[in-house]
Amino acid sequence: MIKESYNLAEEDALVKASLNGDKGAFGEIVNRYQRLVARTVKGMLGDSVFAEDIGQEVFINLYHSLSDFRGEAKLSTYIQKIAVNLTLNEIKRRKRFFSMFSQKANNEMYEFEIADHDTQERREASEIVNKALMAMDPKFRIIVTMRMLQGYSTKETAEILDLPVGTVLSRLSRAQEQLRNILKKL
Amino acid sequence: MNTLEIKKLIISSLNSDADCAGISRKLEEEGVSYNFSKNFGDRILNKLFSAGVSINREVEFVKYMNFAFYRVALTGVAAIVILLISIFLMQGSLSLNSFLGLSDNYDESIVCLLTGN
Repeated sequence: MIKESYNLAEEDALVKASLNGDKGAFGEIVNRYQRLVARTVKGMLGDSVFAEDIGQEVFINLYHSLSDFRGEAKLSTYIQKIAVNLTLNEIKRRKRFFSMFSQKANNEMYEFEIADHDTQERREASEIVNKALMAMDPKFRIIVTMRMLQGYSTKETAEILDLPVGTVLSRLSRAQEQLRNILKKL
Repeated sequence: MNTLEIKKLIISSLNSDADCAGISRKLEEEGVSYNFSKNFGDRILNKLFSAGVSINREVEFVKYMNFAFYRVALTGVAAIVILLISIFLMQGSLSLNSFLGLSDNYDESIVCLLTGN
């Protein structure tokens, strides 16, 4: 199962301990959810140093906003929302920055790093997914990241992205069309 | 899994009734996985908890600055009071002339004071 799911009471205890300044408790939250954040951030931004920085920012923001977490939703959903917002902001920021330069630079704003120890087949799969994601419009890319990499249902995707289910469904079909066209060229 | 199968799997993840959790698991098995660098957690904790130390240092610095300011201000006020008393004792008054060290208010005295002749 890709989705991280933990005991709610245990999660609540970790949040409370973190709020009391327990470094170890917050470290445990980071350890538990760093892969969840990595999938969103690296899926959206590519496997680059920038993604690592945004990942750190997600947890730093989480730490500072832990007092606002009321436990009504899962901690993973709360973290995911922070990750989505920061990643989309970073994409907007980059778009503005790169639009000042050439179109070529705009296309080169994403990078990939594929682990050396992976077999040819595994590298290929990773390369296809990353290339397809980066070629997509960000508003569709986020939907694909939530579905394909995080394994969220339509309802969960809508909740995290703060969108009506109907909007998610229509974006899903448009994203699928765009993805088909991109994959044909790969 | 070959390239074609991977592509089919990716596209099927966007079907409204897709088993997304299953698809993401399969993709992870095929090498589509993401993670941060080894010391990711430590770096965050260092940033968060060393930031607290720097804030404390900043607060302490401001506190010491306030303390230094009060000491300098009090010393200055004390020096002014001593100066006023000494002028009063020497000149017998606290007029403008006694402040300026002039015996009268004539123009020559001012010229004398400014030119030194």
